[in-house]
Amino acid sequence: MTSVIEVENLTKRYGDVIAVDDVGFKIEKDVIYGLLGRNGAGKTTVMSILTAQNFATSGDVRVFGEAPYENARVLPRMCFVRESQKYPDDAKAPHAFRTAKLFFPNWDQELCDRLVADFQLPMNRRIKKLSRGQLSAVGVIIGLASRAEITFFDEPYLGLDAVARQVFYDRLIEDYAAYPRTIILSSHLIDEVSNLIERVLVIDQGRIIMDETTDEVRDRAATIVGDAGAVEAFVAGREVIHRESLGRVVSVTVLGALTDDERRRLAASGLDVVPVSLQQLIVRMTQRAADSRVPNEGALR
Amino acid sequence: MVDEGRALFLQIAESVEDAIIDGSLAEEAQAPSTNELASFHRINPATAAKGVNMLVDKGVLYKRRGIGMFVAPGARHLLLEERRSAFADRYVEPLLAEAAKIGLDADDLRALIRERASAHTTTGGSAL
Amino acid sequence: MTAFTPTASATPRGRIVNVVRMQFVNRMTFVWIPLIILAAVFVFSMVIWLMIPYGGPKYSGGAQALIWYLLAVGIQSLTLTFPFSQAMSVTRREFFFGTYLTAALTAALLAVVTTVGGLIESATGGWGLNGWMFYTDWTWASGPLGSALSVFALAMLTFTAGFWCATIYKRFGGIGLTLVLVGVGALLLVALWIIGRFNAWVAVFGWLASLGVVPLSLVVLAIVVVLAATEFWMLRRLTP
Repeated sequence: MTSVIEVENLTKRYGDVIAVDDVGFKIEKDVIYGLLGRNGAGKTTVMSILTAQNFATSGDVRVFGEAPYENARVLPRMCFVRESQKYPDDAKAPHAFRTAKLFFPNWDQELCDRLVADFQLPMNRRIKKLSRGQLSAVGVIIGLASRAEITFFDEPYLGLDAVARQVFYDRLIEDYAAYPRTIILSSHLIDEVSNLIERVLVIDQGRIIMDETTDEVRDRAATIVGDAGAVEAFVAGREVIHRESLGRVVSVTVLGALTDDERRRLAASGLDVVPVSLQQLIVRMTQRAADSRVPNEGALR
Repeated sequence: MVDEGRALFLQIAESVEDAIIDGSLAEEAQAPSTNELASFHRINPATAAKGVNMLVDKGVLYKRRGIGMFVAPGARHLLLEERRSAFADRYVEPLLAEAAKIGLDADDLRALIRERASAHTTTGGSAL
Repeated sequence: MTAFTPTASATPRGRIVNVVRMQFVNRMTFVWIPLIILAAVFVFSMVIWLMIPYGGPKYSGGAQALIWYLLAVGIQSLTLTFPFSQAMSVTRREFFFGTYLTAALTAALLAVVTTVGGLIESATGGWGLNGWMFYTDWTWASGPLGSALSVFALAMLTFTAGFWCATIYKRFGGIGLTLVLVGVGALLLVALWIIGRFNAWVAVFGWLASLGVVPLSLVVLAIVVVLAATEFWMLRRLTP
């Protein structure tokens, strides 16, 4: 598999605060990635550095094998419209699209027009007067119609209602299927995008805590529910990442896939196995990472 | 439609298998393409492809170069065999476990099954 | 749809031209509004001249409005258009040259309009009302070209001032900008103090006044170049 982006030892410091902490990963060609994490975890910072809009304090970033900074060979092959993107004063949506056409070599005007209709975007209103959802739609349309080889979507659905979000996901899949490219989608609505993404990159407090395929992640954990005694007996020796109880009923989330044999045993003991959704798993793992951090260590160094 | 418990690509494969078993997707008919499956189930095309490839490996589908994926002859029979041998594990075991929980023994179960089965046949039942 | 719709270019020069196109995509900002302002000022001046029963020369200072407008355009080129250009995957270098090229085109447009206005103004003796907006003896001392150059230089200076101050603010914060402006103010004060110390007021200001429109405009343009150079340096590490 070819990597289109390679990141090594990437660190970003703002004074005493470490926003990105010695991060390393590779982005493979034509794969849809989910860059997941809480607000403020470092998702936008990482994407900004990859597109040379922001600068690393230290570390190495290579896009298509080259450093992206001021690199006119590499930058037009990427598209990054950020979550609260600024547009020229008095600009309207058609102005933004006409400009995008000037700079993205793969720009598809037909797709743009179709998306404008899908999102019912008002073309005659100034961008600064658009609603939050309509503003997001502008960014989403630029991102999709640019057909850039590497496209970043930074929390693209803010302000979009459920219907519009589904339109985005549907158009994304449709266009990706017809024109495969590398897509990195940052989101905190993990369950909504879990079926779209092929690989998961979870970033928490500036560190990558997960870098796997969605299938691998789904297999990672299970929740056992039932009588406290039976459950505890089963989970003994396993890594527990969450525990809840209501009376004698206990719900324990453990790491590690369950074999068919184990599932049979559980059923026989009258215990329920509840699947762990991607969102739950990542939330639990993030909480765990936070709890395990020594209080005086962490972000401040 | 898509549940959290099992891998997505398995669920996709199963949905195609279900269609073959109930006859809506005939042998030698063209199977839905990866992109069609991805769009319909709203999932990543790579995942759909994984499911389709699994079916190809299993011998349920085969590829006609340049045209697409087709249901292999004998696929239905193959799938029925597979499902029958898995039936006991997938359905009977949980049935027994639940029955045990609520205090029904094997005889009770037999009576229940006979009762329900006859109700089905009088109201039309399922084709076999 | 139309005969020629410009699309993406792969050459550096092509991309810089596309930055100019980007700035002009909303023609209001760089073309129509300045012209509208000029026209509005002209109309108001005319109305006022018509109302004043004074036969001597009447001067309109209304062209100032344009200066403030260009300052605002310079500021917004950085605060809004720069972040947008980043989203369009434009390099900072391309943005810098493209934006200055755009400013130069607008400055040239204004120079032409005011010079033509001045020619008409002097030919009609102040629009038949002895009212003067475009023409002054001093700026026209070297003829229409001198006047055009002076307008061009002033427009470039105003745009650059806005662009430059906004960049300092973005990179070094409000404190940075304050320090710089205070520093510039201090330098001027020191210069004035030195002139006063040597009682050279007459000499210095006499000399400045004797400088023609053309040399002074060139000095202004030299200042613009210096500011632009520091601008380029600051832009290199600016984040949107």
